[in-house]
Amino acid sequence: MVEPLNALRAEQVAVETRALNVFYGDTQALKNVSLPVARHRVTALIGPSGCGKSTFLRCLNRLNDRIPGFRMEGKVRVLEMDPYSKHTDLIELRRRVGMVFQKPTPLPMSIYDNVAIGARSHYGLRGKLLDEVVEQALQRAALWDEVKDILKRPALQLSGGQQQRLCIARMLAVDPEVILMDEPCSALDPVSTFRIEELMIDLAKDHTVIVVTHNMQQAARVSHYTAFFMYGELVEYDASKQLFLSPQQKATEDYISGRFG
Amino acid sequence: MRWLGRLFDNTVYITGVTVSLAVLVMFYYIAHESSYAFRQTFSWGYRLALLPADADLSTTPNSALYSSLVAVNAEGADGLDEREETLPAPTIEQMQSEAAFLATATTLVSEVSQIREDQLYRDDWREPKPAEREERILVLGYASPGYVHSTMYLAWEPDHSFAPRLAPYRLVLRLVRPPQGVSVEPFEIDLKRQASGRVALPAWAARSDAERTQGYVFEVAAIPQTSTFWATVRGVLSAEWAPTLIYPRYGIFPLLLATTLMSLLAMLIATPLGVATALYLSEVASPRVREWLKPALELIASVPSVVLGYFGLMFVAPALQNWLGQSLGIQSGRNLLTTSIILAVLAIPIVASVTEDVLKAVPESLRESALALGLSQSETLWEVVLPAARAGVVAAILIGAARVYGETMIVWILSGGTATMPAFHSPVAFAQSLVSSTRGIPDTIAIEMGNVTFESVHYGHLFLLGLVLFCVTVIANLAALRVGRRQVWRV
Repeated sequence: MVEPLNALRAEQVAVETRALNVFYGDTQALKNVSLPVARHRVTALIGPSGCGKSTFLRCLNRLNDRIPGFRMEGKVRVLEMDPYSKHTDLIELRRRVGMVFQKPTPLPMSIYDNVAIGARSHYGLRGKLLDEVVEQALQRAALWDEVKDILKRPALQLSGGQQQRLCIARMLAVDPEVILMDEPCSALDPVSTFRIEELMIDLAKDHTVIVVTHNMQQAARVSHYTAFFMYGELVEYDASKQLFLSPQQKATEDYISGRFG
Repeated sequence: MRWLGRLFDNTVYITGVTVSLAVLVMFYYIAHESSYAFRQTFSWGYRLALLPADADLSTTPNSALYSSLVAVNAEGADGLDEREETLPAPTIEQMQSEAAFLATATTLVSEVSQIREDQLYRDDWREPKPAEREERILVLGYASPGYVHSTMYLAWEPDHSFAPRLAPYRLVLRLVRPPQGVSVEPFEIDLKRQASGRVALPAWAARSDAERTQGYVFEVAAIPQTSTFWATVRGVLSAEWAPTLIYPRYGIFPLLLATTLMSLLAMLIATPLGVATALYLSEVASPRVREWLKPALELIASVPSVVLGYFGLMFVAPALQNWLGQSLGIQSGRNLLTTSIILAVLAIPIVASVTEDVLKAVPESLRESALALGLSQSETLWEVVLPAARAGVVAAILIGAARVYGETMIVWILSGGTATMPAFHSPVAFAQSLVSSTRGIPDTIAIEMGNVTFESVHYGHLFLLGLVLFCVTVIANLAALRVGRRQVWRV
């Protein structure tokens, strides 16, 4: 049951941008993007490469700061926080906003430590409690059965799909409220992709999920809402069914029907 | 002209093969030249004399003993003959006027030695005598005519600087024949077991020069106890480097330990500073700071080490002596500590520069992952970036260490130049040896190679030192290569 966008009440919006403009040096990556994201729903961002989807995602946890020449204008709200306010605790923000990257990025340590490092840092957990958190996170990420006997092994020994689920478990272990996924399946085989899609639907029960994807079928399968970006602009944003069945914009229709992009 | 084109095509191979060959030839040359060390003939000396009761051999100067100093030399009685030539034995008349002292005359009698005698004067150190045959030296003993006591003593002790254990020969002293009319049982003393001592003998005085040849006849036999190779190895592994003594010592440990200690100390200083600099450069500094700091660092790395040495001599050595000299009892600013400090200055830019390259190679995605998890900057640094770069950082340290280990000029200028063993028996003594004058392997080669006889035993030992240095730095560099290869962090 998906509410139409305009019926969303204020408390149902977890993340919101207003007139967001982002520049990398002289290039403008996002143009005037205003996008409310529904709480406990999967929102998919689609569009051709270089259209600003990832930039949008990275504005929400301020991972853009590290890029030289980065500059932003406009308003961003994530949960009750303004990421770009001086008073915002960046570490708290990133605890509440988890992120999964395109390529699996296991940290150079054991499987156990990969999952434990965040919980240890944020909650100061040790011993049994930490073990429990790690097990729960791995179970939620559907990885526990595969790794429970090899927790001490380096994380790099896992397969690509397992590594990506490990990254999801690592993120879940710090108990985020918003989950950003930047093309999480583009480096994976169909079986792994399927498992992660299932996971996304499961996570949306109690998390707000924003996922960037190039795979239109995936967006249609898993998302409640879909936003279509092109050249840094938000072209169309609607409930996924609506957008994929009867797109309002010519560009959207061309893109989802595969005429370009 | 086609062959010329082909030659150009093959230039890479030709260069590679040439360089490999050159390295092989160099290694062979160093190894070959150091073989002169292993073929060395050991000269080990004993002081041997007939003495009156009240005389003590250890306090009697050589001049008073006159020709009684016996050099037992593995090469035959080489030194002995020379001494006879330069110091003609005194006549009976001379001795009568001098004192009632006993003297010994020494002559080379052994048949084996006489056969070898023609070879001795070829100065043929290239083919030292293998330690397989017994060698004998006969010692004729007599009293001077003025001697009035009924007893005299045969006394012996090893020459100032040698351990009988290390000699390739075991020396045995025998009484072969007492003079006519004197009855003494023949005896035999194993000088290896009993390095010094004295034996009482009935006095016998020569009244004419002719009678001197009828005195006590002793025999010193040199019995091989090990090959010259192993004797050299054991000599090299001993604790004294004194190549200019009459009986030279080529113990490598004072030099090896000094070089190792100063390198360790330098790396102890340089590692934290170098890695911290690299971390600052790659993770913290703004691009503008990095833009000038990195080239500045590489500029320091290219400063000639003689300049650094000079800097140490002008500033660090006097500073160390002025500030700490009184309280720590430092005699000179030129010591192991000063050397280590300047070696650290040499190593820091190297370690920092290589480490910075390594950190730069850690993929940005790892840092982003850690930051996206909400880890702080320092947690990201210590728990993610450094572990990912660990192999490369170790490699950087090893490269720095190899550079420091082989450094010559700084050590030459600043170490003070005395080859002494560091003391390990107590912390205080150890600390003291850290601030005392020392000498390393590379500077020893540099200092002594110019003065040494070409292809002599000393020369061979210098090459041996070079070989040791070569091996240590090659091993460090290979280890750095091996460790560094694991650096690539695939994500």
